[in-house]
Amino acid sequence: MNAQAGLPSAYRAQSRRPRSRAWRSPISTHDADPLRPLLAQCALGNRQAFETLYRSVSPRLHGVAYRFMGRSDLAEEVLQEAFVRIWYNASRYEAHLAAPMTWMVNITRNLAIDQLRKHREQPLADGQQDALLDDSPGAHEQLDNEREARALNRCLDTLDGMQRQSITVAYFQGLSCSELADHLAAPLGSVKSWIRRGMERLRRCLES
Amino acid sequence: MNYQTTALRRALAADYAIGLMPATARRRFDALLLEDPVLRVELGHWQAALASLTGTLPERPVPDHVWAGIKARVEPQVLHMPAKKPFWMSFRVLAAACAVVVAVLVGVLYQRDIGAEYNATLVAANQQPALQVQAFGDHLQVEPLTLAAVEPTRALELWAIAAGGKPVSLGLVPSSGKGRIQLSQEQQALLAGPVTLAVSLEPQGGSPTGQPTGPVLYQGALASR
Repeated sequence: MNAQAGLPSAYRAQSRRPRSRAWRSPISTHDADPLRPLLAQCALGNRQAFETLYRSVSPRLHGVAYRFMGRSDLAEEVLQEAFVRIWYNASRYEAHLAAPMTWMVNITRNLAIDQLRKHREQPLADGQQDALLDDSPGAHEQLDNEREARALNRCLDTLDGMQRQSITVAYFQGLSCSELADHLAAPLGSVKSWIRRGMERLRRCLES
Repeated sequence: MNYQTTALRRALAADYAIGLMPATARRRFDALLLEDPVLRVELGHWQAALASLTGTLPERPVPDHVWAGIKARVEPQVLHMPAKKPFWMSFRVLAAACAVVVAVLVGVLYQRDIGAEYNATLVAANQQPALQVQAFGDHLQVEPLTLAAVEPTRALELWAIAAGGKPVSLGLVPSSGKGRIQLSQEQQALLAGPVTLAVSLEPQGGSPTGQPTGPVLYQGALASR
């Protein structure tokens, strides 16, 4: 497809990942992010732009969906739903609040978490349950692999182990505080305080 | 709860961004977000920071059927008509034919029965309706309601009186009361404007002078339907 080929290759290097620019650098609406005009075109009903957007970001959002769901079929369902939502909500994208990739990752994550919660409410067959729980050590290993010079990871490194783990597990599993306490086999009070203090420290670090 | 405390707002935005809030608290926070742009910015920061947790996840190739599924959901649905459905099709043709027949019938009936361009109800001095007059293109249709009995030597003559003009005879009311009065071109032209109709009592054969000679028994304005 021509439109896809025409996407600046710099895009991959520059904006494939949501950069951690929280607090320190306000998001500029004049950002050269090539996803921005694509989203704007989607808001106008341009299907060609939507397909280009899909070809550009679906592998990455699929990775995100899979990280949450832990199963190919569930991840594909979430990915499909996410793109339907991106198409219909493109006009509600607020450029000053989030980078396009952050916005799309959030949509994917919210749908994934909805699904995870639904599955938790309707217990799955044993094998499926294992598959879902299987990703808790993954969260930990993931974090070890993420020690790159990214602001968030730098800041996460400054947290205590349990602060870091509770935030990461909560983020990737969409657990409530009490579910998190069960999951980590820790008292509810402790979990709340890990999260609260962890987030405060994270914020101070990101602001610095 | 006081949502204005900075520390609390931050903590809530953080909880919301991570996804720790129970459903009810989440809905309450959604409502707050709608009316608080500063809170939206705060939340945006958190979401951006947390989204970078996904930054190092490996990409996954996407099977083709996912795009097919998405396309089916976002493209306008093309109305699918089955190639052959004889019963349904013949029913449609029949329905169309019936509609045409009904339309023609209505048109014909309208022309014949209720196609009067004007009508008037002439009343007696006591406001009692006496004579119904309907004007068609080239004739009048008159129908007695409570018409007084007339001696055989007398006749009822119908007049049209334009505003400020003299009465013009339209002809005699049929002796049976009900009937048709043919109109000349001049009479038709006269009735195109606002006129009052009147019926006077005249000698048999009509007024000898061309103007009413007897008493006006009934009158009424001709109104367009």
